[in-house]
Amino acid sequence: MMADNKVELHIPSVMGYEKIAMECAASMAKKMGFTEDRIEDLKTAVAEACLNAIEHGNKMDNSTKVGITLTVEESKLQVSVKDQGKGIDQILTPRIENKIEGKDQSRGWGIFLIKSLVNEVSFEPSPGGGNVTKMIIYLEKQIGKDG
Amino acid sequence: MNKEIQVSLSQKDDVSILNIKGDVTATSGEAIEEAYQKVSNAGSKKILFYFDQDGYINSGGIAILIGIASESRKNEQRIRITGLSAHFQKIFNMVGLTKYTEIFLTEELALKDF
Repeated sequence: MMADNKVELHIPSVMGYEKIAMECAASMAKKMGFTEDRIEDLKTAVAEACLNAIEHGNKMDNSTKVGITLTVEESKLQVSVKDQGKGIDQILTPRIENKIEGKDQSRGWGIFLIKSLVNEVSFEPSPGGGNVTKMIIYLEKQIGKDG
Repeated sequence: MNKEIQVSLSQKDDVSILNIKGDVTATSGEAIEEAYQKVSNAGSKKILFYFDQDGYINSGGIAILIGIASESRKNEQRIRITGLSAHFQKIFNMVGLTKYTEIFLTEELALKDF
């Protein structure tokens, strides 16, 4: 479905389908004029948000979907990824030292990557139920909120 | 939906090379773990991971590689990596994998003085 500046798609809660959302976001970013390296950043961030929604949000329940909305504005692309789950209890910053030493599980990098690769991100409950991850990536701004 | 992974093994002098084609994810990563275990059990102390430049690597795949890096420390092995796109070189650096492995631009450079 597409309005003038918006594309929506829904993917099954099955691992691997995140690549469809990833490629869709990449196509839009390319059309907007993003640089190749920023498109790669966006692809990883969108894939990880979808994976979180599939695995942690929807618990890989085949009867649920993940909704992705891409909104184009003049100088930015906003991507919302919505699941039908109960939300993230807490967001921990992973430390590789702990994972290497076996103190923490080796997984848990998705949110870290999203935060590192886009300009703005929020994780919120959705008004209609479920959770939504909203990411914004600016057309010309470089990574790093400190400028 | 993911590109099926193919992991093949080769040997150059005392370096075991894992040639990895396809997507590296939590599920496909098992093939990498198996290949690593195989060379590890054979006593290899120098292991080169040769990735596909066009491959997709997600956080689940990164976790598999962190697990291998952890095990390689216990086994006193050295791990080098090549074939990564510039983006995934950056990602590996972000998560800290470069503290425990070394990334090289080419296979030739990776094998030099290993």
